[in-house]
This record gives sequence, C-alpha cells and structure tokens, in this order.
Amino acid sequence: MITYEFSEEQEMLRQSVREWAAKNLTPRVQEMEKNKEIPPDLIKSMAKMELLCPTVDPEYGGSGFDAVTAGIVGEELGRADYTASVPVFYLVQASWAHVFDKYGTRECKLKHIPPATKGDAFIGIATTEPGIGSDLANMVTTITPNGDKYVVNGEKNYISGVREVKQYGGGHVTLARQNLRAGTRGMTMFFLPLGLPGIDITEDEEMGREAISTGGFHISNVEIPKENIIGKEEKGFYIVHEGYEFARAIIACVCCGAAMKSLENGIKYIKERNAFGRAIAKYEGIQFPLAEHYTRISMLRDFTYKALHMIDLEQEGKASRMEVSKTVAMVKMFCATWAMQAIDDVMQWQGAFGYNKECPDQAAYRAVRSFTLAEGSKEIMKTIVARELLGKEFITYR
Amino acid sequence: MLIIACVKQVPDTSDVKVDSATGTLVREGVPAVMNPFDQFALEEGVRLRDAAGEGAEIVALSMGPPQARSALMKALALGADRAILLTDRAFAGADTWATSYTLARAVGALGKIDLIMCGLQAVDGDTAQTGPEMAQHLRLPQVTYAERVTLDGKTLTVKRQTDTGYEIVEVRMPALLTCTPPADFVPSTPPFSAIIKAKKKPYEEWGAEKINTDADKLGLKGSPTQVKRVFSPPKRGQGVMLEGNSAAAVAGELFQVLAKGGVL
Ligand SMILES: Cc1cc2nc3c(=O)[nH]c(=O)nc-3n(C[C@H](O)[C@H](O)[C@H](O)COP(=O)(O)OP(=O)(O)OC[C@H]3O[C@@H](n4cnc5c(N)ncnc54)[C@H](O)[C@@H]3O)c2cc1C
Repeated sequence: MITYEFSEEQEMLRQSVREWAAKNLTPRVQEMEKNKEIPPDLIKSMAKMELLCPTVDPEYGGSGFDAVTAGIVGEELGRADYTASVPVFYLVQASWAHVFDKYGTRECKLKHIPPATKGDAFIGIATTEPGIGSDLANMVTTITPNGDKYVVNGEKNYISGVREVKQYGGGHVTLARQNLRAGTRGMTMFFLPLGLPGIDITEDEEMGREAISTGGFHISNVEIPKENIIGKEEKGFYIVHEGYEFARAIIACVCCGAAMKSLENGIKYIKERNAFGRAIAKYEGIQFPLAEHYTRISMLRDFTYKALHMIDLEQEGKASRMEVSKTVAMVKMFCATWAMQAIDDVMQWQGAFGYNKECPDQAAYRAVRSFTLAEGSKEIMKTIVARELLGKEFITYR
Repeated sequence: MLIIACVKQVPDTSDVKVDSATGTLVREGVPAVMNPFDQFALEEGVRLRDAAGEGAEIVALSMGPPQARSALMKALALGADRAILLTDRAFAGADTWATSYTLARAVGALGKIDLIMCGLQAVDGDTAQTGPEMAQHLRLPQVTYAERVTLDGKTLTVKRQTDTGYEIVEVRMPALLTCTPPADFVPSTPPFSAIIKAKKKPYEEWGAEKINTDADKLGLKGSPTQVKRVFSPPKRGQGVMLEGNSAAAVAGELFQVLAKGGVL
C-alpha cells in the first residue's frame, strides 16, 4: 500500500509559510516588480523562519529539511509571488547549498553557508556560458591547479542572482573544465565568491521575474583556495546533477503553486464576470479548460512530490541515481508548459485585463516561462527519460 | 506561575464571504486560522512566562472540533508549553455562555492558576463576551482591552485601550485579561525548529467527563442565546466631510447637520 500524506509538521510549515506570505510577501510584489529588488527585510524574515538553505545541516545554519519539506516551501512561495522572484531566490540557493553542504569542505562551508542561511549572502549556480548551456562538455571555463591554489578563467552568463551577490555577498557553485581532454569526465565543481578580484559582473534584462537578477561574469585569472573545491577534482559533472535534480523538482513545485493560484484567480473572475446575460463560468468553453488544467496541475503536483520523495529515498540509499534522474525529468519536462497553458487560459478568461500589466497572471506567465529552460531545458528532460528507457547506447550525441 | 492562554480556531476572515441568500458566513473552503486576537494574547502570555522565569508555564486551551488541534499546534510552536483541546459532541452548539462555562471548568481542573489570557474577541462572532463571562464563572478580577502587560511579583500592570486613550490599571493575580493588539503588532511566524518542537510537547484532548461539568450547562442545551436572524448590515451611504477654517466653524456646521437630522 502507498501512504500518501504530509506529516503534521509539514502541514504546519505549509500553513505558516502561507500565512506569512499572504501578509508579508504578496502585498509587496508590485513594489518588488517596480524596484526590481526583493526587499532585504523579506529575506531576513525568511531567514528567521529558518527557510533559507533549508536542507543544510544545522551545524552550518540550516534546518535539516528533507526534499519534500523544501518543496512545500517552494510551492507556497510560487503561489504567493507571481513574479517568481522570491521562489527563484529560494530554490536556487536551497538546491546549490544542498550540494555544497553535501560535498564541500568544512572550512569553505563554515565561511560561506551560515551567511546565506542568515539572509546576508546568496548562493547560486554557474554552469551556463555564452557558447553552451545544455552541452556542458563543451564549456570553455577552466580551472587549473597552481601550487596550493587554483586559477579560474572563462565566462558564465544567464546566471541567476548576480546582483544579489554583489549586494549581499556570497557566490556561485561553479563548474569548469580541469582535464581538457576528458570532456564531462574532467570537470571540477567549486565555490566561486563573486567578490574576488578578476571577476567582472554584467546584468541582463529578462522578460520576467523582475525582482531577481540574471547576468553574467568574466573570470580572469581568479585565484581560489583548495578548500573551495566541492567534491573530488574532475568529478564535478557527477555531483552537479544532484543539484540540478533538486532544483528541477522544486521548480515543478513553484510551477504548481503559480498555476493553482492563477486558476483560483480565474475561478473568482469567471464567476463574477458576465457576458450575454450570465456569468462566463456558466459556459462550457470556460468550464472544460478549467477542469482540464486543474486536473493536469493536480496530477503534476502529486508526481512532483513523488519525485521529491525519491530524492529523499536516494539519500537513504533506497532509490538509485538513475531512477531519481528519470522521475525528476518527467516532472520538469511538463511543469512549465502546463503551468503556462493554465495561466494563459486564465489570462484569456480575463479578456483585455488579462493582457494588462496590472494583471498578476501575465507576470506569472512570463515568470514561469523561464522554467522551460532554467536548470535544464524541457527538451533535455526528454533526452534523460529516453536514455533511461532505451539505454545509454541510444544517446543521440554519442 | 501558571498562565492559561485561550485560543479559538476561526475561519480566515480575510478570505470569508457572506452568503447573500442566508446572510451566514460561507465557511466551506475557507482556511481555518488562529483567532488573531488570541495570537496576540498568547504571545503576551509567552512573554510574561519568560519574564516570570524558571518554573513558569503557559498552557494553551481551546474548545472546538478535533480540527482545532491545528490552532493549538500553532500555539505550541509559538511557545506554549502544553495544550489541551476540549472536544466532545456534548460541547457542540455552545454560545458564549456555555463556552465560557466549559472553559472555566477546564481551568478549574488545572488547579491553581495565576493568569488567564484571552483575545478581546473572536473574529467570527465579534461578541467579546467569552473572556469576561469566564472571569465571572471563576470569580476572577478581569481587565479587558489589555494592550501591554508587565509583571511585578503577584501584580500585573496593564495598559488598556479605552474609547478616548489609555488607562493604566494594576491587578493582583489570579486574574483574567482580554487582549487587543496595538496597531504596530506584527504576529510572529514560528521558525521551523519551533514547529518540530511543538510536535513533541504535551497535547491532550479532554471530553466532558474529564472536567466535572453539569451536562445541562453544556453545548446547545446550556446556551441561552437564541439567534433570530443573521444578516449583513445594509451598506452605509457615503459620509460627508465637513471642512472649515477653524475647529469652531466646523463644530458649528456639525451642530447644524445633527440638529437638522433630528439627532440633537
Ligand atoms: C531566466 C534564466 C535563468 C537562468 N539561470 C541560470 C543560472 O543561475 N545558472 C546557470 O548556470 N544557468 C542558468 N540559466 C541557463 C539555463 O540553464 C540554460 O538556458 C539551459 O540549460 C539551456 O541552455 P542554453 O540556453 O544554452 O540552450 P542550448 O543548450 O544552446 O539549447 C538551445 C535549444 O536546443 C535544445 N537542445 C539542446 N540540445 C538538445 C538535444 N540533445 N535534443 C533536443 N533539443 C536540444 C534546447 O532544449 C534548447 O531549446 C538560466 C536561464 C534562464 C532563462
């Protein structure tokens, strides 16, 4: 038999985050959109609730959450912030602090994780470059041992949270090539504080998620100490997937939260809006897509928590790496598209207002769109599932 | 020192709608939350418990259906030491009189208590009766509209809101306070570690047999209140702003308006 319920603590946490977000976050999203910034006091308030880097060991300031519990927070933040800025801040940091905590050195963790859990720093991820995103093996950024230090050169772009790091401090879990002849087998993961000399940050304009930055940085002869290496040298490619998978599953939670909230907005609107003498909710042309979106997002949500549960099982040695990859890829493949389709219909029901900048749903639509790419494109998710079904010999690019 | 904090689970009124046909609250699908006044009273109680030092204890007490457990779990996460839910079919349908009677009997079963902290009122009924009635049942002195409380030995100094400002009153414990938050009160959100701890604190459910009550005074049977009709008051018309150069001129104008309206 399957038992399928959240623990009482998880329900309490959900309720707590929901009440906090309704009072403190949602009313400020408009201000956040305008100022293009998450107010620092909101981040501090999340720190006080012990929500930042939540899976991290309490020794480094975390709360020791499991993945399911971390997902609950993601879903609630996704409901509350229709620009998805706070959810992105939360989930990127949660996922990469998770990997950093698991594989980083004690010295480096003590220095860089507690400030992030207190809301005084941001921890991000930097793999993407101008020339590559999905195809990690062909990145150009390199890391080279030099005495007891390492020297990094290259460029990263489309990286979330660069301005936040400039503002608060912190840095990015970064992937670069160490053994240049070995492709993915020669990559090293390390923590790169963005305040180091030799790093030059630029910012991009994105179509959504106004209150969290995306940008890039040039890395020119940047020295990092050995303690900043995360995991074993040249084994970064293997552990980077643990961070991706964690992030992908939480992204799916955020998408479910955003889509469900939007459907609730839609339900309210269609009951009140009249056309041709009755509420538009009376028309099947409105009811059927509502029923379909609600059903699809509910199924996605259930499967997303299953994926998170598998991540937890993997930590206990009860699920394999490959099972986790596949299950997570299944939810990440559709989460953004299905959420966008639901939100798109909610916008449509609202007529011209749905296309107006005042309408929260159009902001949610633009925000959720990023999740078809961020932390792995939906197409790459399909290659993962196909690889698991067909076997490695059918990988296209081999 | 033993403090009792009374807590009621209510529908989230920020989300509540009134059924236009029946005039009653639509509760379906509306999330249940801790009555905001009670949260303030509880947080004040926790502060007093901490101020009182070693050996002081605060017990969260609620009467309600089994689902009200979640309001008590929140009370535990916010710092209560233990929680008791009075839940029994015999309690169902209680008005404020039967509720206050039941709560008072439960307090009686807890032995010697020092202080009862209640919210001023519950936002689903707005009667503000349960606290004062409880004080009456227990023959305790009461201070209503308490906004700030300090403790000195057995004496409490209470800053209470009045229509025109504040009053500072002293009361010797045991006593009952009904509390209302100051404008700048920000309700706490419990951190995750407090949620985990809450689950490990003592929690009990008591039925009628546990609290030595007179069965005729419980629930619907013990409720003298008869609700004749519930309705949304008609929307008031637009107000009128009187503007003038001096207070005297405006007062004069106001006098005219009131006189014309037959109020004076
Ligand atoms: C808002 C936003 C924030 C981001 N934040 C970060 C961040 O913080 N850190 C970070 O490192 N990256 C970040 N990214 C980058 C993101 O991870 C990449 O966009 C993603 O991995 C895809 O890489 P790419 O954009 O280079 O596209 P490419 O890899 O060049 O792919 C182009 C297109 O081809 C498709 N494609 C590629 N290979 C295949 C294949 N084998 N089969 C079928 N289709 C294929 C892709 O799915 C895509 O549609 C962010 C992106 C966005 C939009």
